[in-house]
Amino acid sequence: MRKNQSNRIERIERKEGETRYSFLCALCVVCGYSGVLLLGLAGSATAQSIDYDPRRPDELRACDEDYYRGRDSVARECYTLLINGPYSAVTRAEAAWRNGDLQRANRFFREAVRSNQRLIHARVRWARLYLSTHQYADAQKLLREALELSPNDTYGRLALAQVYADRFEGQARTLLNELLQEDDALFEAHLLAARMALEDGRLDDADKALDRAAKRADSKFPPLELYSARATLDLARGRDSAAMLKNSWVNRALNYNPQYGAVFESLARFEVMRRRYGEATPLLRKAVEVQPSLWSAHADLGANLLRLGDIDAARQHLQLAYEGDPYSPTTVNTLRLLDRVDEIQTSSTQLTLPATAGTPASEVELRLRLHKKEAAALHPYVMEVARDSIVTFSQRYGYRPTRPLTVELYPEHDDFAVRVAALPGIGLLGVTFGDLVVMDSPSGRATGDFHWGTTLWHEMAHVFTLSMTDNRVPRWLSEGVSVFEEWRTGPTPGVVITPDVLVAMREQRLLPVADLDSGFIRPQYPNQVQVSYAQAGLICLFIEQRWGFAQLPALVRQFERETTTRAAVESTLKISAEEFDRGFQAFLQQRYGNVLARFDEWRRSSQSAGKAIMAEQWQEAIEPARAAIAIYPEDIGPASPYPLLARAMDKTGRRDEAIDALLRFRAMGGWDPAALRELSQWLEQANRTSEASEVLAAVNYADPLNAAQHRTLGEQLLAAGRPEESLREFQVLLALDSHDPAMAHFGMARALRTQGDAVASRRHLLEALETAPHYKPAQALLLQMIEERTE
Amino acid sequence: MRRGLLGTGHWALARRKRRVLLFWPAPSAQYPAALFRSVVWLLAAAALLLSATTRAATYSLIVSGLGGEPEYEKRFVEQADKLAVAARQLTGSETGTIVLSGAKADRESVRRALRDIAAKAGTDDQVIVTLIGHGSFDGDLYRLNLPGPDLTAAELAALFDAIPARQQLIVNATSASGAVIEQWQRDRRIVITATKGGGEKTATRFAEYWSVALTTLEADTNKDDVITVTEAYDYATRKVAESFKAEALLATEHARIAGAEPARFQVARLGTAARVTTDPAVNAMYAERVRIEREFDGVRERKAALDADNYYDELEGVLVKLALLQRQIDAAQPPAGVQP
Repeated sequence: MRKNQSNRIERIERKEGETRYSFLCALCVVCGYSGVLLLGLAGSATAQSIDYDPRRPDELRACDEDYYRGRDSVARECYTLLINGPYSAVTRAEAAWRNGDLQRANRFFREAVRSNQRLIHARVRWARLYLSTHQYADAQKLLREALELSPNDTYGRLALAQVYADRFEGQARTLLNELLQEDDALFEAHLLAARMALEDGRLDDADKALDRAAKRADSKFPPLELYSARATLDLARGRDSAAMLKNSWVNRALNYNPQYGAVFESLARFEVMRRRYGEATPLLRKAVEVQPSLWSAHADLGANLLRLGDIDAARQHLQLAYEGDPYSPTTVNTLRLLDRVDEIQTSSTQLTLPATAGTPASEVELRLRLHKKEAAALHPYVMEVARDSIVTFSQRYGYRPTRPLTVELYPEHDDFAVRVAALPGIGLLGVTFGDLVVMDSPSGRATGDFHWGTTLWHEMAHVFTLSMTDNRVPRWLSEGVSVFEEWRTGPTPGVVITPDVLVAMREQRLLPVADLDSGFIRPQYPNQVQVSYAQAGLICLFIEQRWGFAQLPALVRQFERETTTRAAVESTLKISAEEFDRGFQAFLQQRYGNVLARFDEWRRSSQSAGKAIMAEQWQEAIEPARAAIAIYPEDIGPASPYPLLARAMDKTGRRDEAIDALLRFRAMGGWDPAALRELSQWLEQANRTSEASEVLAAVNYADPLNAAQHRTLGEQLLAAGRPEESLREFQVLLALDSHDPAMAHFGMARALRTQGDAVASRRHLLEALETAPHYKPAQALLLQMIEERTE
Repeated sequence: MRRGLLGTGHWALARRKRRVLLFWPAPSAQYPAALFRSVVWLLAAAALLLSATTRAATYSLIVSGLGGEPEYEKRFVEQADKLAVAARQLTGSETGTIVLSGAKADRESVRRALRDIAAKAGTDDQVIVTLIGHGSFDGDLYRLNLPGPDLTAAELAALFDAIPARQQLIVNATSASGAVIEQWQRDRRIVITATKGGGEKTATRFAEYWSVALTTLEADTNKDDVITVTEAYDYATRKVAESFKAEALLATEHARIAGAEPARFQVARLGTAARVTTDPAVNAMYAERVRIEREFDGVRERKAALDADNYYDELEGVLVKLALLQRQIDAAQPPAGVQP
């Protein structure tokens, strides 16, 4: 049986107890929104890259030659001789690593460092071993040790730049620039610069970096990684991925090494990074065809097929990857998740998209994959949000999905993380892979932690922007549309800008539109990803307000073909990117000028309202809370002054004003379940039952697993003569497997009775009494039913 | 006035008054429903016959130990006070319920209270001991944290063993309480601990929900206004789990229960079950209700053998009889004064 692995580190024999995380975690733990990320790079251990360090022991070079030429058995034999021969621990470690025995390599490196605490090269290479298995914390620790011993060690710093680059940290570029300024002949540094430029979409820069690398190529080293990067650049420049099979750079690589599957693996990873999962699959198939022992490619192929919903084929490749590399945490974790696939309940519904002018009605299949233990409770709400989003976005963006769309919710956050990145510990809420949306279930997080309905709405918007453009839409625009649609059409409408975004505006840290992607991909400051989400949303809002909403889908459609943000903006809005940025700044000034000018005053007011509430000085809280709201009405986050004002008003006997404060909170997009439940209660007490029900129903899209809420709402809706909706609430109450099933059955009996379904009503009434024979209201209804029957 | 047990009561009853002994048990996972119900009904019938001669009482001791911090101190005392309300309702007297909290909950007071109960309680009586607060376990010894010297698990076990009452419920809701479960378990004693072992040392939430279970109708799944150990335990453990889940925290406590027939052991009587009557006509109706309840169980036991339509038709017939009788009982009895 496979054991869970949070990281391969545990199997390679780890000594330190440091926090482990994938690059996704590092990238997104600060991210308050959900979104598409650069997924798929954290795969199984990658094939060892070429070691360009001149300190590489000479005795390895002969074996390396065979290895780089694809003469695997010869190379293996050669390395085996080194492992068993009278060589240094570093040599034996390198040889074991080449032979795929990572644990042994790890032991040899440890032995080397133990025997000489001042070894630098061994530490750098040991760090590279960890880097190849995505064990960034350990890699970084070893590099830190190496650089303490020798601060200027070129290859140590280069490895550190690689760590930063793999984790999409902004420091990568700075460190790399320093290295290249010191020594422009560093071939590997140019290769890394090219890779980063490719990931950032700076294709001309990538081209130049590769030219520089080519000029500095040393015949001692194989050109395979240069060819591979060249091929990736061709792909990025719009070459069809199918055509890449015959690409000249690919051919050169294969001529050098006919078993160099890594060239296809690199291309596939680039496609995955661009969310072109369908295109990645044939490339990965080719990779494993060319090099059947490329276990990382098998693992990537499995993961990619899983994204595309082909579970059986995915399992097959993951199993192969596991057999070849049983210590890969990503493979093991994914297989473990697949082992529990029968815990998932899949439902399928044909949705009809209504006809619009010139377009007839059409149908699309929506598949929901929910965990069995909560499927019945969540299904009605998930279906409603997904269906409404599809209908809404189809109309607004003029695009009708044709392929089946799938939504998966995971009650265990680590299962979701494994599904997304094959490693636990990512800080995401939801991810979209083309037609597949994967996200945390509301039960996967603390109550009030996230609004699952909004998250699903956001992800469904990605489905549209990605599908409309065959995944070409830039990250910022896809996120911008999703955030904008949260504000405009989502379950909690209202433009929500958090204080840290205002701080970024005040400090002029927003990026030009043409460079906004870098705020997502390689953030330069801790909350830049979150700020970039908000900026992207505001850009869409700006387009809507300045040019009209129709220009937003038009801008998205620019990316139906390969283009740049700059060109798309110019073509759609008829202004340059620079003019757009100036207009956007003016828009921000107009919209947020007041709050930016009075930001400190807002902060003081907000804090003093909070302090007064903490001290239960209710009267003293009122004025500062009001002042804070007046300055910054969009502050509906965790420390929002609206609930503070409401509490203060209620405690001073002004319930009506308390209700008003929470109604305004909700109107601005506030959704805190505790606050809204209290609002609903107050409204009911004020005989505003219809509003009370509406507010409570809205809480279902934030916290749908609260039995008391469904019971109250079921009763309210029944009393309001809305039996159909009431029935749904009681059905969910029953599905929640609450302590009191009799209550749920009794509610259903009454709702069904009101709907005129006497047979089903009787059955549920009897089921209620079967559980609780002394349940007096149910007894009364039973007697009434019998009397009516005999009349 | 001392309260009696009518309606859905347990067979351990007030000492000074002859009572009709009825109960509505719930099956537990430990006992197959059908077997359990058969035994229960036999006991019910026996209880009816024996009611003229049986004299039984319920004694309750609630200890709210050392809080350590004002927040815990306040919380523990509040929980003890709530439980005291339920206990007084159940024991039917002030003297049957002893509450020790704050500075009064020292080692000597607890020992004295348990010895006092041991002196008063007869073999047919029922004793409930509830321990709230912090406990500690050093791998060997469990200690109930009290102002001044603590009490160890062994000392408490000896005190419990000295109580002659055969029906005992010990609820240890303290942290690390799971360490005592095996040590305290005896025939006809139910032991509940808030944690699964001595290693769960974080302050527990169990007592909070246990007190809710005993003072509201929320735990009353079969709607008979009587809360049994099974109902209260299921409710409290479910609520504890939900509270951790709602905060997305790993649960730091996992309650355990040991001992026979928790579904027959009452821990609270609320609403109509708290009413008292000596009216023979009403008592006769209650006796008739027991008969119908047996009939009801008979139908339920045949569920697997009947097709759905026949089953629900038969069930309906019995339930109608039960509902009509309940209507008569309610007409004959004024509404209960206590409805938490």
